[in-house]
Amino acid sequence: MTTEISYLFISRCSPYAGQQARAALDLAFTAAAFEQKVSVVFIGDGVLQLLDRQDTEASQLKNIGKMIPALKHYDVKNVYIHQPSLTRAGLKQTELPKEFELVDDEKLCKLVAITDQVMVF
Amino acid sequence: MKFSIVINGAPWSSPSALSALQFAETVLDSGHDIYRLFFYQDGVLNSSCLCVPPQDEEDIPARWQALIESNDIDAVVCAASALKRGILDKAEEDRYDKSGHNLRQGFTISGLGQLIDATQQSDRVISFVI
Repeated sequence: MTTEISYLFISRCSPYAGQQARAALDLAFTAAAFEQKVSVVFIGDGVLQLLDRQDTEASQLKNIGKMIPALKHYDVKNVYIHQPSLTRAGLKQTELPKEFELVDDEKLCKLVAITDQVMVF
Repeated sequence: MKFSIVINGAPWSSPSALSALQFAETVLDSGHDIYRLFFYQDGVLNSSCLCVPPQDEEDIPARWQALIESNDIDAVVCAASALKRGILDKAEEDRYDKSGHNLRQGFTISGLGQLIDATQQSDRVISFVI
């Protein structure tokens, strides 16, 4: 890669309804590994991916909750949580990783506007 | 303009696969170029040579192959997504000791890095969601 461009991955699916949550994270990790400027926003059912203590023993599915800390490992610092989605889900920010920033609709629109490449999962 | 197109939906199961195909055809008819087609998630199923759709339905994988071959398009199928969903080329068949391979002519299995490259090199990247 010769250029650095900015990416925003919008992750709106719940962790265990199919493969999209995983697909978004895999692509975010890949872009970060190629030293691109990566941001991720969790919106809609996507906020559920951030819940602590996800127990996938009974379902035998890949634990998405355990993949979230890898964002920090890949140096993805710009991770956002859509506040209205939290409210709709009946969740408080205290139940989610504290290092992620809350955004409202206006801030999300600004993020989309300034990003080179936006992809939705 | 150089386009790359990301296809995430399976043929027939998702309306987005045919939309992506029609869009790709229109991009070329309009005089633009396609830098890469990238098949991700369920989209990898568009590259199977074993689909037998009913005669009154579009043969989407065959149409993709025709588009790719007649326009010499770089069509990449994501390796991780493909393996999981049973889309293999000969190399993967041998590597994993499977009983066959089913990747259509014209498609190549490769990594997510090819998608990142496409986003760097293209003027526009259009994703058709799952």
